[in-house]
Amino acid sequence: MKIARYILSRFAKAIVVLLGIVVLNFCLIHAAPGDPAAVMAGEAGAADEIFLQQLREKFGLDQPFHVQLWNYVSGILQFDLGYSYRQEAPVLDLILDRLPATLLLTGSAFFISIGLGILAGAMAAVRVGSWADTAITTLALLFYATPLFWVALMGILLFSVQLGWLPAFGMETVGGGYTGFARWLDIAHHLILPALTLGLFFTAIYTRMARASMLETSGEDFVKTARAKGLTEGKITRRHVMRNAMLPVVTLAGLQAGQIVGGAVLTETVFAWPGIGRLMFDALLQRDYNLLLGVFLISSAMVLLFNLITDLIYLIVDPRIELAK
Amino acid sequence: MKRLLVGALGAALLATASVATIASAAPKSGGTINVVIQPEPPSLMLGITQNGPTQMVAGNIYESLLRYDTDLNPQPSLAKSWEVSDDGLTYTFKLQEGVTWHDGAPFTSADVVFTADTFLRETHPRFRVSLAHVESITAPDDHTVVFKLKNPFGPFLGIFEAGTMPMIPKHIYEGTDYANNPMNATPIGTGPFKFKEWEKGSYIHLVKNEDYYIEGQPYLDDIYWQVIPDAASRAVAFETGKVDVLPGGSVENFDIPRLTAMDGVCATDKGWEYFAPHAWLWLNNREGPTSEVKFRQAIMYAMDREFVRDVIWNGFGNVATGPVSSKTRFYSDDVTQYNYDPDKAKALLEEIGYDGTPVRILPLPYGETWQRWGEAVKQNLEEVGINTEIVATDVAGWNQKVSEWDYDLAFTYLYQYGDPALGVARTYISSNIAKGSPWNNVQGYANPKVDELFAEAAVLADEGQRQELYTQVQQKLVDDVPVAWTLELSFPTIYRCDVKDLVQTAIGVNDGFKDAWLDR
Amino acid sequence: MMSFWRRVAQNRGAVIGFALLAVVILVALLAPLLYDQSPWRMVQRPFLPPMAVDGFWFGTDTLGRDIGAGLAYGAQVSLLIGLVSTVVALAIGVPLGAIAGYFGGWLDDALMRFTEFFQTIPSFALAIVIVAILEPSISSIVLAIALVSWPPVARLVRGEFLSLRSREYVQAAVLSGLTPPAIIFRQVLPNTISPIIVLASLMVASAILLESALSFLGLGDPNVVSWGYMIGAGRTVLRQAWWICVFPGVAILLTVLSLNLIGEGLNDAFNPRLARKGR
Repeated sequence: MKIARYILSRFAKAIVVLLGIVVLNFCLIHAAPGDPAAVMAGEAGAADEIFLQQLREKFGLDQPFHVQLWNYVSGILQFDLGYSYRQEAPVLDLILDRLPATLLLTGSAFFISIGLGILAGAMAAVRVGSWADTAITTLALLFYATPLFWVALMGILLFSVQLGWLPAFGMETVGGGYTGFARWLDIAHHLILPALTLGLFFTAIYTRMARASMLETSGEDFVKTARAKGLTEGKITRRHVMRNAMLPVVTLAGLQAGQIVGGAVLTETVFAWPGIGRLMFDALLQRDYNLLLGVFLISSAMVLLFNLITDLIYLIVDPRIELAK
Repeated sequence: MKRLLVGALGAALLATASVATIASAAPKSGGTINVVIQPEPPSLMLGITQNGPTQMVAGNIYESLLRYDTDLNPQPSLAKSWEVSDDGLTYTFKLQEGVTWHDGAPFTSADVVFTADTFLRETHPRFRVSLAHVESITAPDDHTVVFKLKNPFGPFLGIFEAGTMPMIPKHIYEGTDYANNPMNATPIGTGPFKFKEWEKGSYIHLVKNEDYYIEGQPYLDDIYWQVIPDAASRAVAFETGKVDVLPGGSVENFDIPRLTAMDGVCATDKGWEYFAPHAWLWLNNREGPTSEVKFRQAIMYAMDREFVRDVIWNGFGNVATGPVSSKTRFYSDDVTQYNYDPDKAKALLEEIGYDGTPVRILPLPYGETWQRWGEAVKQNLEEVGINTEIVATDVAGWNQKVSEWDYDLAFTYLYQYGDPALGVARTYISSNIAKGSPWNNVQGYANPKVDELFAEAAVLADEGQRQELYTQVQQKLVDDVPVAWTLELSFPTIYRCDVKDLVQTAIGVNDGFKDAWLDR
Repeated sequence: MMSFWRRVAQNRGAVIGFALLAVVILVALLAPLLYDQSPWRMVQRPFLPPMAVDGFWFGTDTLGRDIGAGLAYGAQVSLLIGLVSTVVALAIGVPLGAIAGYFGGWLDDALMRFTEFFQTIPSFALAIVIVAILEPSISSIVLAIALVSWPPVARLVRGEFLSLRSREYVQAAVLSGLTPPAIIFRQVLPNTISPIIVLASLMVASAILLESALSFLGLGDPNVVSWGYMIGAGRTVLRQAWWICVFPGVAILLTVLSLNLIGEGLNDAFNPRLARKGR
């Protein structure tokens, strides 16, 4: 019961924050120089005042700022994200169309990085000072300092251009015409490189995190007690150290889950992955107001959702935490 | 130096390409073709949306009265013949018989009148300009249309192109709200191909129009326009055989030599004559250093345009000699030539005592090639002593800055539509100086003599006289350098050599699938 | 103080970091001497591979510009943007965190809500939008990076203030009638300096990464050569000319690595007993 009320209140707060984000972004984007009507007219190759006026009327751009804002926000409250000027389609449809690709990419990257990171971190922590520890720590340090987009390019250079093992671009073979299982295999083949790239950076973070917090935990009193009680090292690590060391990792995961959406902009650009990261970037360059705002709203909502999930996991892992704050 | 080599290579590639197209045999029927479309068009309703990708796909769904060969001579399309009265005021078109819309309704002269007089008048800004010369459009019978002009208008026979005057079905659109007509999603034309389905973000599927009025045509069964949002993946898709045609501009310039060097791959730079994309730098004639003629001439001498052509454009295109493209009618090369000559540029700058005031360069935000070009021009100008600063913008910001005249030098390129009166005069006549548009006389050049020459040449019926006036105006403009012309751009179409007769007209791929066939 | 530096000197990572950073700074300072011509100048034929011609160790790019010159001048840009944007982020985050932590109550609540709000917006996306809207230039990039990277500073400073607030010497200062600004600046802030320095060195590193990502996407200042820009410009010719992308990437990697090593070294030296918590 307590948990239900907690989740409800968190949802209420999240909605307020989201509305704030919408208003802020709306103002930001409308402060930008340039008129979407002119961009659309430009694509038509020519325009006169009559044509521009037709476009502005069609999309409500001729109305005063506060009216546009009000229309937009009241639309949002009815789950209507508006209409994309450039793509001539409802924003929600466009986003939902692209969202699975992004979720597939970021989801894979997320699990790769969490899994690999905790594993590598634990391995390093268990044998502090060994060559394995040194190797893992050095690698993590290197990947932590490497620009994501550069890793992506180097991956393409090595695995696509030199070795020819993996496709360099896209999510599916163009015109491949695969169906069913073959199609999934094809997608998986395309997914490897981008997911690894996006995952590596975060793997580095998790590795460092997991190693540090395991070392810290293993020095604490309750672990010493367990040792004194004669438990085996393996049991101590699994039962006591891991469990407690994971708390900071969970926090980080919640924070990073949101940021991974930002990283997707780069990865999707390099790999021509048809997700919302690219959608956002193109929308920005084309001043496709509603589409850009829509992507922002969805990705911010995802951040909030992940934060909530993190906090709930926290509750489960560590019951000592109070619900109040 | 490599640049010479690159240029020669480009030319050689084109030479082999043209040899390959000459050897064509009797067309074979059947087959499916995959073509790249970039970017994905917002709509296929050509009467309402006229951007490049829409024209490219929908030009095979919709038709106009005429087509144009690569020398811009009119050819029959929906009109089988036409006559122009001696005074140049009456144009009479005889329509093909037995033409039907894709939904089966007959195509008649009433559709032509509706399209030109009602529909496009409301939706098509570029067409509206030409329409201003038209007194009346009438249909004496079902297969005859008469355009009466207020005054002779030299380029009139050049506006019956699919993107300029696509025929719109009257029975579907009359009396409706054109922009919101649900039929826009399933376009109905008279063309050789019918709209089948559109998987957004993936492909557009057109199928053969079995009832096409030319017996046996078109030859192809299906066209898939593949949407591939990344230039590098488009190149890969072509390499791996997933697509057969890369229309001009679909891949990065740097990839072109690699692709055309492949076995069984042909390329042609034909098929853009109607548009003749002409690139230049707007020079702000109102204020700053660029308001001085000699400064503008110095810019012309300072730019190494051949380097840009050879290195950035891979040897494709020509250095522009003036305001009119050599592809466009009434071109003249009898003008002052500006060769790359930094010393001459420095001398001119010294002569006017240029004080080092920096100038702002606005590159075109259309990607890689244009950004490199901006950097090259910046460096050329710096080397003769002009201080420059590049201002980065996106498309919206670029539009705003150029239309509000907030720039010193700004890259652009515009289409010429076959005739100086349609695509050239608009840039230089003083009546076209108005804030708010990036396509008019943005540089603010005003010269009564030039205005007069353009006005006179447009309304002459005699071609010899027109040529004389246009030569004069070109000479005048080239001396004044209102804008700094750079290149006649070339967007080569790359395709597999077994795709035959694809680029036959001045708009190339845009209406090319009417005649195209596969030799497989 | 001596023992502090001795601890730093004993940290192998930190020493490597300082050495690497010194090289980068040196290259940045000596760029005009190493390459007396502008990095934008087209000096050789395009696509010249590394070492193919004497004096062009790193080859040339798509227009025949010397990549070595780009690397040297790019170092200036990366360091400058990294440093300035961190200073700006500190200037936003430190006061906010200090006020929230010192005064607590509703003010703390409001400020932390505000901070959380900023952390909810995907930061890289926000940076892209800010730069695109203000139009790419050094100042807009600095502003964008600062705006997305101040929240951790505010949280850190708030945390430190919360814990120091209840210390006896602070209580004593309050009782002796010192004004809050005086207490904040003279008593509390100096004691939070070390974690701030550690965080700042890591922030410079991530600012350099962020700048390179923006430039890579074509949102860099078009008048200066930066490493991210070089990679972005070479991206489409990756198969023909690997060197255009590879060298600037290595430069970024080494610079960011050096700063991370320094940050950790300092952290260990400040807190000999505490294990590091990466953030």
